[in-house]
Amino acid sequence: MKKLLSVLLIAAMILTLGACAPGNEPAESGPASGAELSSETESEGPSGPYLIGVCQYGEHASLDNCREGFLQGLVDSGLLTAEDFTIDYQNAGFDDAVTTQIAQSFSAENAALMCAIATPAATACYAAAEDKDIPVIFTAITDPVKAKLDSGNVTGTSDKLPVDAQLDLIRALQPDADVIGIVYTASEPNSVSAIAEYEEKAGDYGFTIESIGVTAQSEVTQAVDTLISKGVDCFSNLTDNNVVGVLAAMLEKTNEAGIPVYGSEVEQVKKGCVAAAGIDYYQLGIQTGIMAAKILTGAATCETLPYETISEYGIYVNSAALAEMSLTVPDEIAQRAVESSEA
Amino acid sequence: MENVLELLTGTLTQGFLYALLAYGVFITYKILDFPDLTVDGSFPLGAAVTAVLLTRGADPYLTLLFAVAVGAAAGLATGLIHVRLGVRDLLAGIITMTALFSLNLQIAGSNLTVERAVETIFTAAPTMALFGGMKLLYRKLIVSFLLALVLKLALDLYFKTKSGLLLRAVGDNETLVTTLAKDKGSVKIIGLVLANALVALCGSVVCQEQRSFSATMGTGQIVFGLAAVIIGTTVFRKMSFVKGTTAVVAGSVLYKACIQLAILAGLPANLLKLITAVLFLVILTLGNLQKTGGKQHA
Repeated sequence: MKKLLSVLLIAAMILTLGACAPGNEPAESGPASGAELSSETESEGPSGPYLIGVCQYGEHASLDNCREGFLQGLVDSGLLTAEDFTIDYQNAGFDDAVTTQIAQSFSAENAALMCAIATPAATACYAAAEDKDIPVIFTAITDPVKAKLDSGNVTGTSDKLPVDAQLDLIRALQPDADVIGIVYTASEPNSVSAIAEYEEKAGDYGFTIESIGVTAQSEVTQAVDTLISKGVDCFSNLTDNNVVGVLAAMLEKTNEAGIPVYGSEVEQVKKGCVAAAGIDYYQLGIQTGIMAAKILTGAATCETLPYETISEYGIYVNSAALAEMSLTVPDEIAQRAVESSEA
Repeated sequence: MENVLELLTGTLTQGFLYALLAYGVFITYKILDFPDLTVDGSFPLGAAVTAVLLTRGADPYLTLLFAVAVGAAAGLATGLIHVRLGVRDLLAGIITMTALFSLNLQIAGSNLTVERAVETIFTAAPTMALFGGMKLLYRKLIVSFLLALVLKLALDLYFKTKSGLLLRAVGDNETLVTTLAKDKGSVKIIGLVLANALVALCGSVVCQEQRSFSATMGTGQIVFGLAAVIIGTTVFRKMSFVKGTTAVVAGSVLYKACIQLAILAGLPANLLKLITAVLFLVILTLGNLQKTGGKQHA
């Protein structure tokens, strides 16, 4: 009896909480929950406003660019905001358990498509999408094959780094350099696979790699100090969240030591890295958005649309940072380089 | 309406799943009075072992036992570090948790995804025989509810045994245990082993539900566990007939419900945590208002 009562009490509590939920929603979708429901039934059909759930793993300039690019990609494909699609954007604040709940709410809302930004968001969305077989489009994943997101009702874009181009760029800017220092997070699969590729290819360009794996953001600057003391000729960054997160502190140390730092995408160059052969996450987002539009309109399915890597990498330079390190960019590179600085 | 029902199902499922972890924290924090940070490491440990075993074709039910075993070992490590090596309780947990971070990566290689074709406890034959007619979403709810219920009843029974009573005695009055000619150190170790076995079991079940292991999945789980235990026990403070374990389940569900509400609130995504925090505060305040007197702290 007592137990029954407590169970009932809990159930009642949850129900009240749950009942509050739709009341909060109509802010975007309409005045009454009736309207909301009708719009959902429509979204299942071939036309009408598609509900797209966007789950971003955390707050991060590159991931933000992905999201903005994704929306632009949808518009570029001829879909008009509000008329053709509505976006439910959620940010998990780097909390894996929250990504699960976000993904589940997308499924409950009968989203026509889920867009997952970064690997943990993608695995959560893919798990939650299983029940209704909702297509999942991911972006900012380095190795979709390793993450086992290369088959099934899931596709997207990979942000695999153009390692060859980066090594080539470093060789062009620093003809005498021998050792490249890299700090990376040992638990980020993206970084681990990038390091492996760096180590494999460095020899072809006459470099050796001196790398330190860290487990937390707080250890990054210590690792940078260690590499500086080991006498590396330059640093090359990956798209490693922990390292990029403390880039400013890293640059403070390397500038003092007079060691140039190469970035892996445009945002890092804007923040003070000398140069990068890397990806523009905004472009990657656009590419993702175009894929999503194809799937939404039925022009393609995840099965017929294999995951894509960035079609073209860019070369980004920061003249002020280059000048500070007294580096000069050879003409043939300067011609296609894009000046990227915040000022 | 279906929409609300599904959201509710998803939230309840998460609440029941993570209740297993909250039981573990209930044992260490509430009963033993031991702030055990091992949780952030033993939770992904259970998931790592499960993900590796599942991808190698192991029976999904069997992985639960493996997870319990490795979780127990993690608890044993913290217990021995604290009791035998005399390291302070908080630090003993931190040491094990830190070591487990590397160990988990070593076990799993890197973040792992379990493909849809691989069977989990939610899709394997015995589960399908019983609940096969249901949609996956509801099957997950039933399985997680049953897990939470069975473990709750088992724990309630255990707390009535001699060993269970000693556990409570150590938390309340260590001296009493010594006067009973019992070694309080061994009792603490038993509590830690039991708690972390539950936490790792939770990791295993969450891994099967999520079909993935990630090295960062343990981060902040102790915070969740503490919040669930405190929310649950605060809400049911005045209802003495509600068992601690029941309160913990309720706390876990309420915690997940708060996050779900924050997600639904439709406010800027960056405010998610703030809204969650406000909801917690509201629940705890409401819980405290019920009381008529006496000391308390949330």
